[in-house]
Amino acid sequence: MRNRSIIILLGITLILACKKNTNGPKTTENKKDRELILRYYADSIIIPAYDTFKTEFDLLKSSAENFAANPTESSLAALRSSWTKAYIRWQTVELFDFGPGEKYTLRNFYNIYPADTTGIKNNISNTSANLEVPASYPQQGFPALDYLINGVGQDDASIVAYYTDLSNGNKRTAYIRRITDRMSTLLASVMNEWNGSFKETFVSKTGLDLNSSTSLMVNGLVLHYERYIRSGKIGIPSGAMLNGTPAPDKVEAFYRKDISLALAKSAHKAYVDFFNGRSFISGNQGSSLKTYLDALDARDNTSGKLLSQLINEQFVLVESKLDLLQPNFHQQIISNNDPMKNAFNEMQAAVRMLKVDMTSAMSITITYTDNDGD
Amino acid sequence: MMGIKGYFDRVTSIAPLVFFRVCFGLMLMFSIVRFWANGWIHSLYIEPSHHFSFYGFEFIAPPGQYTYILFALCGLSACMVALGLFYRVASVLLFLSFTYIELMDKSTYLNHYYFISLVCLLMIFLPANRSFSLDVLRNKRLEAGLIPNWNIDALKLMLGIVYVFAGLAKVNSDWLLHAMPLKIWLPARNDMPLIGPLFNYEATAYIFSWIGCIYDLSIPFLLLNKRSRPFAYFTVITFHVLTSLLFPIGMFPLIMIVAALVFFPARVHQHIISRLQSLAGRPKNITEDRSIYRNPALVRWIFISFFAVQLLFPLRYLAYPGELFWTEEGYRFSWRVMLMEKAGYAQFTVKDKTGKRTVVNNTEFLTPLQEKMMSTQPDMILQYAHILRDHYADKGFVDPEVYVDSYVALNGRLGKTLVSPAVNLSAQTESFKPKNWIKPFNDDIKGF
Repeated sequence: MRNRSIIILLGITLILACKKNTNGPKTTENKKDRELILRYYADSIIIPAYDTFKTEFDLLKSSAENFAANPTESSLAALRSSWTKAYIRWQTVELFDFGPGEKYTLRNFYNIYPADTTGIKNNISNTSANLEVPASYPQQGFPALDYLINGVGQDDASIVAYYTDLSNGNKRTAYIRRITDRMSTLLASVMNEWNGSFKETFVSKTGLDLNSSTSLMVNGLVLHYERYIRSGKIGIPSGAMLNGTPAPDKVEAFYRKDISLALAKSAHKAYVDFFNGRSFISGNQGSSLKTYLDALDARDNTSGKLLSQLINEQFVLVESKLDLLQPNFHQQIISNNDPMKNAFNEMQAAVRMLKVDMTSAMSITITYTDNDGD
Repeated sequence: MMGIKGYFDRVTSIAPLVFFRVCFGLMLMFSIVRFWANGWIHSLYIEPSHHFSFYGFEFIAPPGQYTYILFALCGLSACMVALGLFYRVASVLLFLSFTYIELMDKSTYLNHYYFISLVCLLMIFLPANRSFSLDVLRNKRLEAGLIPNWNIDALKLMLGIVYVFAGLAKVNSDWLLHAMPLKIWLPARNDMPLIGPLFNYEATAYIFSWIGCIYDLSIPFLLLNKRSRPFAYFTVITFHVLTSLLFPIGMFPLIMIVAALVFFPARVHQHIISRLQSLAGRPKNITEDRSIYRNPALVRWIFISFFAVQLLFPLRYLAYPGELFWTEEGYRFSWRVMLMEKAGYAQFTVKDKTGKRTVVNNTEFLTPLQEKMMSTQPDMILQYAHILRDHYADKGFVDPEVYVDSYVALNGRLGKTLVSPAVNLSAQTESFKPKNWIKPFNDDIKGF
């Protein structure tokens, strides 16, 4: 008797459940397969993105070597141009702060700003200075190169003179080499792991517990958006964070100045593309956080809109605010800080959706905690 | 019809009670060892610089490095309870130490720890050391083969209350009509061997939700009934093993599987005990001892009032306006288990009249677990705001004001503001009154 009533109840439930599903195709099972998503991310975005970055970086490295061997205004211009291109391209891989990228803390050695100019000067005279410790982060990577090729003189002639100086010029060019060599080695380590056995490890850890690939990846991504796009590029220099005091000298690429918007846009676009699974090779969309959220049917019940759509709409809103900014954030903050704050506010709304709505829908615990305060 | 007096006079074998005592003590010991081995004493009670005490129990806080001694004391008393050694002292000590531990920080609150605390309290008044114990070995006169039947019924009632209230809590529209939060949690386990692929189907979440609800509501009754008991106990094992595979719920499945044994008749317990005794080379049959233990008259009234409170306390949420899942006013201590997927984000701003202003970095004050718990629970948000108020007052802020920008998602709904951002939390006080600074939920979860 009791068994029968349970069966009846189950039957009713099944009918209810099936009825609910008639409004969408029920071929979503494999779209919930995290192994497929992880493999797609590794093959179609992460590994090709590193490859593309490496091409740009190698150009930077060779032009740095040219400049170091023969500092002239023209080799400086060449170096500056390849540095700019590589820096913009760097934004498309900085977000991979999980797996090897996290293991080698690539971001810490590549892009912690503002640059520590005193430390850089000390390192130039002390050729055995330790570049592995946290204090050395802002003394290397793109921000240090920014200072070294844009900030050591008033104009190109005086910058070249800084490197042709008879007593110190060689040490200075040697430091440029040291930094680019170091960046090259680190990048090679990270890429070797992705091209080696790590990829299969990454793809095989399909769970959603603390040490699973999806969890580590999503935690890294949410952290990236919150701390390195929202706070680093916009929130901290504009003073929208913390005590409200603008700090225009904390913009990314402070010495070059006019590429801060390009860097922010590159980072944001890379993020949106990653979310939507836009292949680095074909440009088409594939398995991604977006398709996973859609397969889970994560949506706003009041409007019926998919969560992925709402997140994408918010991304578009952020981009529209970025479009209103000058190429030079330093100038933007000094002349009119409000558009910066507006961009920050839209990014803040995106952070909430990523950090709360997305992770909750995916049943992922946010393990990193916020440290927007220091 | 048996009269009330007749009911309280009826005696039964002590075997189920002493077997329960041994299992319960051993499980608690294991629990403490596991807790210790996982390094949780340090990470949950010593490492955090601030703690979330319970309202009315603010004097209870982790005693620094002595927390290890507290746990050792708890483990030791659990061991003594299992052995039945100095039982009166040991059971009081076990209740006090365990409850103290649970009251130290509400971010570690778990319903089954509350259950253990309550059972520890009951065990103080039950004659669980009157057989198969070192106390009896020391003092033969303590031994009793028979005890009032209601002593064992009390444990069954306690278990029944847990299950039935846990079941009632599932009778709500999120759980039954939307299969939430299982619809979110199950696909997260779709990579499990064998059963994993099932979790890709929405229907599975519905089936699990309904079975879970029916299971909780019916299992105490099925365990009471002699004919359905074997089937019911088999279900208990299946259900709890499955949940332990699916969710990180620690000791809970084991505790329930072992505790449910109390529903079996005395001869089953007697059989196990005899086996244990013959292993120890002292075969003896408890049921042969015909001496009867009678509880002091006061104990009956203690139990009656205890259960009256237990039946009413989980219903206190009815006294609050607003949605229980959203405000969590009356949520704890009510057997509401695994009902919510709730995630939140809370960013605090502290400012004062002199123009000082800072956005708080939560990691400076809280552990990741504390931050996670705090960001979705209004009473903890208030407590944290007060921690911040006091901290920044020491730092030179004049009458600091604390505001929170909060965003909380519940059971698949999009996130929204939990706490009114315009309210200065440093001026709000904790009480049992409804918190009018919680923003309305603007949705309806029907049911219990």
